[in-house]
Amino acid sequence: MGEEEARSWIRGDETAKQMLSRVLKDRAFMLLPPLHRVPLRAGNVVEITGASPSAKTQILIQAAISCILPKTWNGIHYGGLGKLVLFLDLDCRFDVLRLSQMLKHRLLQANRLGNGAWWQLEESNVKSCKAAQEKSKTVFDEELYVSCMKRFLYVRCYDSLELLSSLKTLHYRIRQQEACGSQVGVLMIDSIGAFHWTDRLSSSLALETHNRKSLSLTNVVETIVQELKKLLQVHSLVVLATKATIYEEKYPALENNRKFSSNDDYSGNAAIKAQQPLIREFMPSSWQVIF
Amino acid sequence: MLSLIELQCRPWLNGLELLEDLQRNKHTLSTGDKGTDSLLQGGFREGQLTELVGPSSSGKTQFCMQAAASVAENHLGRVLYLDTGNSFSARRIAQFICSSSDATLGQKVMSRISFHTVYDIYTMFDTLQGLEVTLRSQMNVNEYRLRLLVVDSISSLITPILGGSGSQGRALMVAIGYLLKKLAHEHSIAILVTNHTVGAGGEGGKTKPALGETWKSIPHVRLLQSRDHKNSNCTISILKHTSMPSGQTVKTMTRKENQQCL
Repeated sequence: MGEEEARSWIRGDETAKQMLSRVLKDRAFMLLPPLHRVPLRAGNVVEITGASPSAKTQILIQAAISCILPKTWNGIHYGGLGKLVLFLDLDCRFDVLRLSQMLKHRLLQANRLGNGAWWQLEESNVKSCKAAQEKSKTVFDEELYVSCMKRFLYVRCYDSLELLSSLKTLHYRIRQQEACGSQVGVLMIDSIGAFHWTDRLSSSLALETHNRKSLSLTNVVETIVQELKKLLQVHSLVVLATKATIYEEKYPALENNRKFSSNDDYSGNAAIKAQQPLIREFMPSSWQVIF
Repeated sequence: MLSLIELQCRPWLNGLELLEDLQRNKHTLSTGDKGTDSLLQGGFREGQLTELVGPSSSGKTQFCMQAAASVAENHLGRVLYLDTGNSFSARRIAQFICSSSDATLGQKVMSRISFHTVYDIYTMFDTLQGLEVTLRSQMNVNEYRLRLLVVDSISSLITPILGGSGSQGRALMVAIGYLLKKLAHEHSIAILVTNHTVGAGGEGGKTKPALGETWKSIPHVRLLQSRDHKNSNCTISILKHTSMPSGQTVKTMTRKENQQCL
């Protein structure tokens, strides 16, 4: 009896080939323009950092559109993933008009490509664009537009408590959506460092409560990381997070007594003006190890 | 337990519902000046926080008063004007109102603009939270609902508390920014704040908006105003906008006392 059990334990459940085919199917590579040079797989967490007006939300919107478009519809190839996008807006600055403008533009473009040959589009790009656009004013598919917009789910959080409560109920909501037949592709968090200062303040002003853990910065970030890890284990999705730098760029000549944790490739001559600005890392270490 | 948390946290909306809410509730308010309206594709959008940056005496207060007059008159809405530097002048607002020839109508328009002075950030918090409670408890939407909130010089409230490496100042700044955005979105109000400029460190001659890097990600729309002192023309350019490229500019002229309305 024991021998039989030991043998089955050693024998293994599946061969390597079977396992690879299963993993590649479940957690396939996702190519989302504009990040199509970065091979993303389900379970990856990507952080996009930059100074304030640097189009981070624009990248998210573009990636969202590639995700919500279907692969083909009515014979026209759109090349999207057809999955849901969950957008957690912590910055509260999302403009749905921008999303709808870009989606309409994509649909029109794909329509023109589908109906005419693609080299005609190339030519019209070389010559005056206006004339070509006026000639081929195709009406895009209203039904498709509506179904795409419905695949974009959005919630905004005004402080850390709301963020945590949204994350905790996220798993349940994803299950609800999967029961309706749609799969979640990407979870986007706009500006993960949004509540950094308010959390720091509340951690320094925390009263002594004996039973409950106080809402300090490290606690909040740890809980966020925990919830994200749990989500990534259960569902196959990619997490895209943007982060705005909150410390100003300082040129290396002036900055001498603070620790750096990011790349800095200055040539060593402080008088040269065109230097890479240094980006200071301000998120606690529990966030930094999630990548 | 989970259902309790669900009741507390905000509902998930899909893209279509967001668009509908935008078209139904959040209209565009004219700024009172045709050039700026065309620059902003209509004017201020309700639900957005617009910031006007400019060096001192570049016409920011004039812009604010013009916007207040325009909203009170054309859009039949109430305006709440929070002044931090004693620069409000009722007479100037009356000049901006076109129908001031008709005394009773002019009076009605002026009565829609309410005015408070705020001298520090804690009074500001009190005022805003009181406003939130009032707005939330209004059961019926009367025809004169609050449409525009102007804070003339939010930087003079925040700059005294920012300083050093402590986090209190910045936390308060972020908190007030979020309170303003929440008011704007939930009650469909357009909010206009003004900010001043400081010199960019080490470069000499260039100026940048005050309040630092953290404030950059709070307003939806940032406009830069500069004035040419020789011919009293103002130039307004877009520093940042949620759905338009930055860098577009427009030239405006300040209205004199006896000029006809557009």
